[in-house]
Parts: sequence; structure tokens; C-alpha cells
Amino acid sequence: MELSDRELVQKCQLGEIGAFQELVSRYQQKVYLVILGLLRNPDDAMEVAQETFFRAYRKIKSFEGGSSFYTWLYRIAVNIAIDAQRRQKRNLLDFRDNMDEVFEEQQEVAKDPFADVHEKELREKLLSAINDLTPEHKAVIVLRTLEGLSYKDIGDILGCSEGTVMSRLHYARKKLQEKLRAFL
Amino acid sequence: MKSCDEIRELVGAWGDGELSQAEAEAVRLHVEGCSACAEERRQLDKLNVSIKRVLASQQPIAFEPFWRGLERRISEKRSWPAGWLDRLRMPLGRPNLAWGIPALIGLALVLYSLGVWKEQTPRNNFAAVESIDAYGRNVALLRENETRTTVIWLYQNQEGDNETSGETSDQSPAF
Amino acid sequence: MKLPGKLRTRALLFSFLGILTAAYLGAAETASQAVKIKIDTILASNQNGEFDSRLKPLEKQLKLLKYKSYRLLKEESQNVPSQGNGSFQIPGGRTLIVSPQDFRDQQIALKVRLQGSEKPLLDTTLKLQNKGNFILGGPPHEGGVLVLAIWATVQ
Repeated sequence: MELSDRELVQKCQLGEIGAFQELVSRYQQKVYLVILGLLRNPDDAMEVAQETFFRAYRKIKSFEGGSSFYTWLYRIAVNIAIDAQRRQKRNLLDFRDNMDEVFEEQQEVAKDPFADVHEKELREKLLSAINDLTPEHKAVIVLRTLEGLSYKDIGDILGCSEGTVMSRLHYARKKLQEKLRAFL
Repeated sequence: MKSCDEIRELVGAWGDGELSQAEAEAVRLHVEGCSACAEERRQLDKLNVSIKRVLASQQPIAFEPFWRGLERRISEKRSWPAGWLDRLRMPLGRPNLAWGIPALIGLALVLYSLGVWKEQTPRNNFAAVESIDAYGRNVALLRENETRTTVIWLYQNQEGDNETSGETSDQSPAF
Repeated sequence: MKLPGKLRTRALLFSFLGILTAAYLGAAETASQAVKIKIDTILASNQNGEFDSRLKPLEKQLKLLKYKSYRLLKEESQNVPSQGNGSFQIPGGRTLIVSPQDFRDQQIALKVRLQGSEKPLLDTTLKLQNKGNFILGGPPHEGGVLVLAIWATVQ
């Protein structure tokens, strides 16, 4: 029978690394994709995701269960990611890892240029527009849209009220709509 | 009764299911009777769908290498900034090195002034691309880790498309 | 706590050299400087398997592009003043315009435009490490594609 997050945390607090590994396997993708949504660069996102779980491991004994494990984990992740964004100005654009990817896309584009050009442009414009938001506005967009978290959970993660989450989301969406009017 | 401006501030939260029952009902009734606000709702839905599609389409990572990296960190019991700090630590306390360091700095300044160091590609060769506009053409960015190379690749949107004098690439590309 | 005589001398000497270094490097960075821009214009194709030996320093980077042959068409350097424009003729009636904007923390900010004979093809702004390079490629030429290896070095 699958153990709950709370049970796994209790086992971690007793020093069972296997329980921590199980928690990592449950949340690694989600945490990574949220961070990737904030940082854009896969290498940086990987680094921050590993740092997130490392800090969670070190602090697990002090986790008292006041919030759910995943909001506690996301709080760590988002804080590190926001700090990383503030320290470094990141490229606005998405990098591929090798030329095979680039050339595959070239072939895709050559086959059906119109649909792919539009789709590709939309993707680039959208990622660029999201990246232009402040770290706090980017965080609410990613946590709500990608993870579907409630305003309460987002507020817990970011340390702000639900009202602040709502107004940040409204502002961020307005900004994105302005930039993407021609594409949507 | 709420104005369109007030409703537009709430449409997002309404779509997210975050309004109280009374507020949600008020927004719903307004939107059903107001084409402008209904259009606002549609545009917002389109935006949300696009954002989710784009963010969710990003490449996930494999668990095993991730766990191995994390396990290594845990067994070393160090956070990554600590490692950087260690490398910066200089043993200034030892008298011999306290002489050697000023001497090295002096030598480095002399060599730098003489231009003794050959021009070579620096280790951190990645370019930070801040903006790019390909005027409607497709452009791809590549960052290759081993050679630390940044590539900006401009390709034709469709076969036969040219920007100069009828020139085309009439062979299949290497890919 | 007062340092013993010899250690005090060393500490003072070390600090003096440190200040000199900082002043030297600081002056070097903040002064408006010309930037030497070097462009290697290369033809990449699959026509034969030949690798131009003059491109040896770029071999690892060019191999990323997965073409079978690489030929150096042209090599050109210009010293471009900060905020100025360096214009380089590229085969096929194209022009590459490189404009250094700023030099800070060993990073050169550049504006780069690839201009076709009638209209611009690409504008980009980027920061490049001093003495570093990047590759801009893709425009078709003589059955292959043009690859531009672009270096920037502060003078």
C-alpha cells in the first residue's frame, strides 16, 4: 500500500533515506517543471531542483506538518528560483541542446510552414512574455497554470495573502494578453 | 451591480473557481449578459490554455541521474555555494604564501601588460542572448556544453524562400 | 591586535598590489574601448567531405553543425569603436553589422544585424565574453549554408 506524504516524511525524520527517495520520485518532475517555467534554462532548473531537494532533506527534521509537504517543498523551490532570477539576468530565449533538435524542427517547418511558424512564434513570444514578468508574477502564473494550485496554496508558498495572489495573477495575465494579442 | 471594469478584475478568479458563491454568481450573470465581458472570458481561457500547453511541453528529466546527483550532494553534505567558497579560500596565514601572492599578482600584471597571453577562446564562452528578432523567420538557439558554443541558426521558413537574389539551398541539409 | 613587523610589511605590500590591480582593471573596463570584431565566413555543405585546414581552431565547434564539409570563404577583422558600427560584406549580397555597446565584467555587449540585400534578416543583442565567439548560421549559399564565426576582443 502506498504511503502518504506525511508517513514518508515521518520515516525521513527517522533517517530513512529510502523514504526520502520515494518523496523525490513523487515530486521531482513537478518541482523541476515549475522551476523550469521560472528560469527557462534547463541546466539552471536542474541545479535549482537538486538544491531544492537537498535543502528539503537537510530541513526535514524541522518540518512540523503545518502545511502540506508539497507546499513546503514548492516554497523552498520557488524561493531558490526567485533568488536565482534576481542574481542572474537570464536569456529570454529557449535554448536547444543539440543541432539535431534544431534541424528536426527545420524539417518540420519545411513540411507545414504556416501552422508551425505560428505555433513556434506563439511559443517563443509566450515564453518571452512570461520571462519579462517579475519573479513574483511569474511564480503565480506558473504555479496556477502549470500546477493548478489553489490561491491559498500559492499564498502559502509565496508567503502572501490570497488577495495578493489574485491581484498578481490578474496583473500578470493582463500583461501577457497585451503582449500576445496578435497571436491568440 | 458591478461594472464591466469590476467584473473583468474578477473574471480570472472566477475561471479559477476562487470566488465565493455569491461573487461567482454575480460574475456569471454579468458575463452571460455582456458580450464584451464574455469575450474577455474567452480570451483569458485561450491564454490559460496556451500558457499551460507551452509550460507543460517543456522537456522533463529522468529520475535516475537526478537522484544520483542529489545523493552525491547529500553524502557530501554540502550546499553548492559552500563548494564555490572553498575554492576561493586562500591560505594567507602561511608566511611563504603571503610573499608568493603579491609576487604572483605583480607577475600577472606584467604579463598582461605585455600581452604575453595568446588570444584564445575563454573557458566561459557562452553568449548571453538578450533579444532576437528574425523578422518572421524561424530562428533557433543552441547552447552546446562541451565546446561551450552558442549558435544562432536562421533557417528558411519554407523551401524556396529566399531573402536576396533567388538563391536557394538546393540540396538536402545534413540533417 | 598589532601585527608583527614583517607580516605588517607583507600585508601592506599585498594590499597595495591589490589596489593597483583593481585600479588597472577598473580603468581598463570603464574606459570606452574599441572592440576588434573578427568574422570567419564559412561555407558548410554536404558536397564533399573536405574540412578546410585553416578552420582547425574551429573544428570542434563546426562539427556540432553536422555538415560534411567546411570551407573558409573569407576572414575579416575590424576595430569598431564603442557605439560604432562595423560593417562586413557577406556572400549573397548580405551584410553583417556589429555594434559594440558596452564592456563590463569582462562581457562585451553587442548588437548584431544580418542584413539581406533588400531587408533585414536578423537582429540580436547579446553579451559575449571578451575574446569569446559565437556562431551565426543558416543563410543558403552555393548549395550549402553560410556559417559566420564571430569573435569580439576588447582593445
